Amino acid sequence: MKNRTGPGVVARLLRTAIALSVAVPGLAFADYEWNFQPPVSSMAVQIVGLHAYIFWICVAIFVGVFGVMFYALYRHRKSVGHQAVQFHENTLVEIVWTIIPFLILLFMAYPATKTVLAMHDTSAPDMTIKVTGYQWKWGYDYLQEGFGFYSNLATPLAQIENREPKGEHYLLEVDNPLVVPINAKVRVLVTAGDVIHSWWMPSFGVKQDAIPGFVRDTWFRADKVGIYRGQCAELCGKEHGFMPIVVEVKSKEDYAKWVDEHKSKLAAAADDPNKTWSLNDLVARGHTIFDGNCAACHQTTGAGNPALGAPALVGDKVVLGPKEHQIDVVLNGQNNGKMPPWKHLSDVDVAAVISYTRNSWGNKADQNVVQPAEVKTARK
Amino acid sequence: MSSTPHTIAPGEHALDHGYAHHPGGIIRWITTTNHKDIGTMYLWFSFTMFIVGGLMAMTIRAELFKPGLQIVNPEFFNSLTTLHGLIMIFGALMPGAVGFANWMIPMQIGAPDMAFARMNNWSFWLLPPAALLLILSLFVPGGAAAGGWTLYPPLTVQAGMGMDLTIFAIHIMGASSIMGSINIITTILNLRAPGMTLHGSLRPICCSP
Repeated sequence: MKNRTGPGVVARLLRTAIALSVAVPGLAFADYEWNFQPPVSSMAVQIVGLHAYIFWICVAIFVGVFGVMFYALYRHRKSVGHQAVQFHENTLVEIVWTIIPFLILLFMAYPATKTVLAMHDTSAPDMTIKVTGYQWKWGYDYLQEGFGFYSNLATPLAQIENREPKGEHYLLEVDNPLVVPINAKVRVLVTAGDVIHSWWMPSFGVKQDAIPGFVRDTWFRADKVGIYRGQCAELCGKEHGFMPIVVEVKSKEDYAKWVDEHKSKLAAAADDPNKTWSLNDLVARGHTIFDGNCAACHQTTGAGNPALGAPALVGDKVVLGPKEHQIDVVLNGQNNGKMPPWKHLSDVDVAAVISYTRNSWGNKADQNVVQPAEVKTARK
Repeated sequence: MSSTPHTIAPGEHALDHGYAHHPGGIIRWITTTNHKDIGTMYLWFSFTMFIVGGLMAMTIRAELFKPGLQIVNPEFFNSLTTLHGLIMIFGALMPGAVGFANWMIPMQIGAPDMAFARMNNWSFWLLPPAALLLILSLFVPGGAAAGGWTLYPPLTVQAGMGMDLTIFAIHIMGASSIMGSINIITTILNLRAPGMTLHGSLRPICCSP
């Protein structure tokens, strides 16, 4: 009798284990906080499927190995007077336990390799977008359309510093999202301007390191209209957690409309390179540029952040000194990139932000206006 | 030599050489070549670093407990994650492994001590200064290394002298761990008791480090 209870108990345990492992991922999938985001590209579907497939192989191995082990421990326990079998070397067993893992590996490696190859197949794209990581924002360039823009965090500082309640998309919202058409194969060229970043869009099944000096490519084809959110996935300095990625997938018509609107908006806002700017216009524009780019380290008050090696700009020698030197510092950076180069900003933006620093927070530089033309000359 | 002649029994001669006169107090620990003493120091060092690295992890978790900035600012948070990784690997894990190896391997394979007893002392005593450098880096201008424990350039190049201290500390810890492993390997290869096979001493239970 005793001997027969063993397998019965084990079978019940096995059934419970299987029932649990079926139920748990099922539950988890209903609540996406515990699993992948709902996939919106064929690549993401494939990745989620591969994950589930490997997961079930792991479950089968787990149940198999521990089932046999617990069965053996229980069935052959001392209290039932079991005698150990004495034998050495069994060629059949050795062949079996070599072939089984080999097969398991094969069944895992084949679909995994297929998925990885599909991820890297960037051939025949419908459009190409260049993504550049900066400390701490993303730059998007539409190579065919011939325009580009920066995508900055839109969450107000007051929310981050707990002075206001957090919004629904806290730290996952930007001023200018990347906009793409539905069902178009978008080839993404990923690079960086300063340090290594990583462009990660979980619901598209895309994650690609952005490495300065290298251009890597990846692709996605979004198959559902909507707004999708991701984050920088490679530690890139102090604001690493504050440079989210937002992609808006539009229908073909809406996308074409957006491109037109964007182009005419850009044309209207385009700066005449030969225009001489008034001090007030430069300072007003510089204020926006400063808060969006420089304030992360130098603070909106220009007080600087000694812990980051960002000097106070109030009364600073460079800011109050000859403007040629400041133009050089802003364009090319200094101290091994602790002050990063800002040559990706336009001539007008650089001129404006320098003029702003020379006329703000009580600063009164002798050379208080920098014109875009001077920045243009200073570029090498 | 002595004015009072006395007979020396065979064997008593050996006892005269001062092996029994160990220094006491801190000098004992600084000068020791005893594998158990050194193993003990390794394990206490490892435990201390585990607590330090653990405090950093707890601070990280406390900050992440709620969204928004509560306890530490982002740059110090990055320093904490970086130093947590380095301290746990180089300060807790590796010395912990060498500590257990020091304590147990000579006893398990029937060796009188580790193969290089004095180098053993040095490979431990490199660790405290290295740990001090790492912890000191939290207090220098510019803060400690904050580029993650993988220390990828060019992010690391932007760091201040905290990174220099970290690089120096990692080199010293690396030297210590290489010396420790050379000692363990040599001991196992050369100092096994008669009849102890290499296979016997390489059983997992014996030399998991």
